[in-house]
Amino acid sequence: MPTTAKKLVSALALGTLATAAGCGGATAASDEDVELRMTVWTSNEDHLALFDSIADAYIADHAEIKSITFESLPFEEYNTTLTTQIAGGNAPDLAWMGDLSADLIDSGALVPLTETLEGTEGWGYEDLLPSVTGEFSRDGELYAYPFSNSPFALYVNTDLLGEAGQTLDPAGLTWDQVSALGSAVNAATGKGGFVVNDFNYSSWNTLATVWTAFGASAWNEDGTECGFDSPEMAEAFTFLHQAIYTDKSMPGPGTTADFFAGDAAFAVAQVSRAGNLDGSFAYDIQPLPAGPVGEYSVIGQAGMGVLQSSAHVEAATGFLAYLTNPENAAKLAQYFPPPRQSLLTGEALAANNTKFTAEQLQTVVVDQVAGAVTLPNHTNPAEIAQKAKTALDAMWTEDADVAAVLGTVCDAIDPLLAE
Amino acid sequence: MRTETVAAPNRFGPIARRVALYAALILLAAPFVIPTLWMITSSFKPLSEIFASPPSFFSENPTLAAYSEAFTFQPFARQYLNSVYIALVVTAITMLVSSLAGYAFARIRFPGRNLLFVVVLVGLLVPSEVTIVPLFQMFKQAGMVNTHWPLILVTAFAAPCVLATFIMRQFFIALPVELEEAARLDGLGRFGIWRRICLPLAKPALSAVAILTFLSSWNLYLEPTVYLTSPELFTLPQALTRFTDAYGGEMWNTQLAAATMTVVPVLVVFLIAQRQFVESLAHSGLKG
Amino acid sequence: MGRADAATGYLFIAPQLLGVLVFVVFPVGLAVWYSLNEWNIFTGDMAFVGAGNYQAALEDPQLPSVLGATAVFSGGVVVLNLVLGLALAVMLNRRFRGSVLFRTLFFSPVVVSVVAWTLVWGFLLQDNGGLNGALAAVGVDGPNWLQSGPTAMIAVTFTQVVRSVGINMVLFLAALQGVPGELYEAARLDGAGSRTIFFRVTLPLISPTLLLTAIITIVGALQSFAQIAVLTEGGPGLSTTVLVYYVFQQAFSFNDIGYGSTLALMLLTFVMVLTVIQWQLRRKWVFYED
Repeated sequence: MPTTAKKLVSALALGTLATAAGCGGATAASDEDVELRMTVWTSNEDHLALFDSIADAYIADHAEIKSITFESLPFEEYNTTLTTQIAGGNAPDLAWMGDLSADLIDSGALVPLTETLEGTEGWGYEDLLPSVTGEFSRDGELYAYPFSNSPFALYVNTDLLGEAGQTLDPAGLTWDQVSALGSAVNAATGKGGFVVNDFNYSSWNTLATVWTAFGASAWNEDGTECGFDSPEMAEAFTFLHQAIYTDKSMPGPGTTADFFAGDAAFAVAQVSRAGNLDGSFAYDIQPLPAGPVGEYSVIGQAGMGVLQSSAHVEAATGFLAYLTNPENAAKLAQYFPPPRQSLLTGEALAANNTKFTAEQLQTVVVDQVAGAVTLPNHTNPAEIAQKAKTALDAMWTEDADVAAVLGTVCDAIDPLLAE
Repeated sequence: MRTETVAAPNRFGPIARRVALYAALILLAAPFVIPTLWMITSSFKPLSEIFASPPSFFSENPTLAAYSEAFTFQPFARQYLNSVYIALVVTAITMLVSSLAGYAFARIRFPGRNLLFVVVLVGLLVPSEVTIVPLFQMFKQAGMVNTHWPLILVTAFAAPCVLATFIMRQFFIALPVELEEAARLDGLGRFGIWRRICLPLAKPALSAVAILTFLSSWNLYLEPTVYLTSPELFTLPQALTRFTDAYGGEMWNTQLAAATMTVVPVLVVFLIAQRQFVESLAHSGLKG
Repeated sequence: MGRADAATGYLFIAPQLLGVLVFVVFPVGLAVWYSLNEWNIFTGDMAFVGAGNYQAALEDPQLPSVLGATAVFSGGVVVLNLVLGLALAVMLNRRFRGSVLFRTLFFSPVVVSVVAWTLVWGFLLQDNGGLNGALAAVGVDGPNWLQSGPTAMIAVTFTQVVRSVGINMVLFLAALQGVPGELYEAARLDGAGSRTIFFRVTLPLISPTLLLTAIITIVGALQSFAQIAVLTEGGPGLSTTVLVYYVFQQAFSFNDIGYGSTLALMLLTFVMVLTVIQWQLRRKWVFYED
């Protein structure tokens, strides 16, 4: 709940620096004593230790690099803090990025990587899966390395299902079946059926994990036309609306049902959230259920890129190429589902995962990444998110006119998509 | 002017009236007390019980885990110290600045006094969101971002201090002038009068100023979030929102435990000092 | 010693005056400058657009609804806050068993950080939360508070009032204790009832405090941001999007500093106008003004 507060409040810092940034751009830098800094949003000690060890190995071979530091910024405030640094002329040399990538690429803030990576011996550019590079590319040029490609999956609380006298048949599982099971659980136990994690009747982009099953998308390929008024989207939202108000298989707005606290039978969430499973109930994990378009997968991505404003673009790009070469990419793959076909195996992912078996990870991660779509991504993400959210609020009442509400969503975001 | 005198009208009211008063007060107090109480009791719950529906007050398996987690996850003791020292410094500066200005506005005649007083009062009316962006620029130019300076300077001189100056002025206006005249005959200058005569008499107003200023610094949320990025510099309200896991998920019980630790000491102090607090306000010039 | 005395006067007010000029007046001037410009946050380009942002405000289709919500919220908060603050002060302005405890209880939310306070209310106001649980216990089927416009507005107004009324209560208590007891005696001897005494004696005598609390409360209400952001995110729809929240979205979420500054200055104008009106009216209703 307080996440928006933090987002907005911390966002304060965000715009405040713009005047100082006028003199951005790389300045001539000496080749000695290069200090590189990379902003990341993980504060996990294992992650940071891995990055440090790779950096140390690189420094040992490169006399001109004096130090490489990894700056942990809180996840919630990552975008705003990073933007503040960029605008204030204090940008890092390298940065992780999520939905800020489109704005960064469009404004020319990122260094193109394709040439460097292709030119690095043994890097293996063709090993990258096309499905994961799209969001970070413009006109065939890659601007960020998609180091993490985490599919959404269906978490199952098998204890709750059992309590309601239900069992789950994973073969050919569909959304309708999930809704029916959720409905039965709700009727028998009073607990929630299925939840889409992080949605909270606000972050609607996470619903892409559902509407993709109906063949819908938030906007077209190049982000110029709204997709909310499509018949597929209407079908998807009709399904959700029915699940909430008719079948009671999805907790309605204003009702807390945290899957990881044992309050819901199913949750759509990324595999990386498995750390929240505290063992208080028996669980299973499945790929997303099939919909009218059959099977599909959705991933949430994170990339790392080099900023144009860095005083050491060349050194930073060199380090990025090293950090992501096959050998180091394999190390990163312990924690982050990799973009490289050759590394994407259940065994690799299971190495540091205590919650799931290699087999499970093969099914819900490895088999999903290649054909996946990403969450909706666009420039000006915050304003689009807010405008659409404001319009979509009207959906969450019992007698809402689904098609009409979706029409108002398009009315609200069309001007922004056109920009 | 004692409380008892005022209480006279209803002192011998019938018992029914008294019962009605208690009933009304208890009913009214519920929304004031229950959230804080729930926060405190929930800080001893394991995570799964916090979300229990319907909510309960007391845990079946109370645990102190969240309290130790609060200190290991962030430098919470350090952040506590930051909040305390910043609030104390701000309070000290404000007491000095406001008693000087309040005295001058009340007692010394100089050209432009009323106009300048209105200029100062403007400081009370400007919402912080109007000035926060420009202020951030200014502090950045001065190299003071990610230091405690903005939190100290802005609070000690802008809105909270202006309120203090206003309170001090009202107090000094009401103070009998004869005391000062006697002192002047004894050869004391303005500063001497302010220091030796007026300040000692102004204790009630000064303590009201101290309490209000301390609270506004203590509860400051927006400014620290904007100016500070290093956890070891954070203040408490800001630190409370940083108890999140690697994906931004809230660590609810740790947050509640930390919030409890920030609230309880202030409540205890208020409980002990509330009579002095109310009475110092009563004698501070804010009286009717 | 007139001239020397005047110099001392300037010296005494110098720290406060300089502080206000540097930390309030000058930044407001900068905000005006920002409102005349368009910034690109990523490139740092600043383009002068003159009245462009002001024009945009006039044409903003969301703004009328935002201003309406602002009026309802601020009006509700101010009225409730003053009435409840005064009522509590009158009830607790006598020494009876527990009066000290009750004063502390009513004041306690003031020392709770806004974030913690609204966080807890967020739990309590859920459809399956504590408030509806309590209502169900007495046989009332509570609404889904934060999910429909009117109840969401009630919820944010209520939580704001409960959190901040303690300050007003204490200020009123202080004022009430400054009312000389002889006046009550005299009024009673004249045969006045307690209602008459309250409206004819008490209220006029504490009117300067009423003015101060009214100003502080209005400024506070127009600035309440955390409650809205945490409880409703301005929704459902735009129903609880008040101006201050809208300013934050524009300036800091959508990176439109120019437009955000424009709206913030609008907010400042409102505050100023309301204050000047009250100040002018004070001669009518404030009992003794020097």
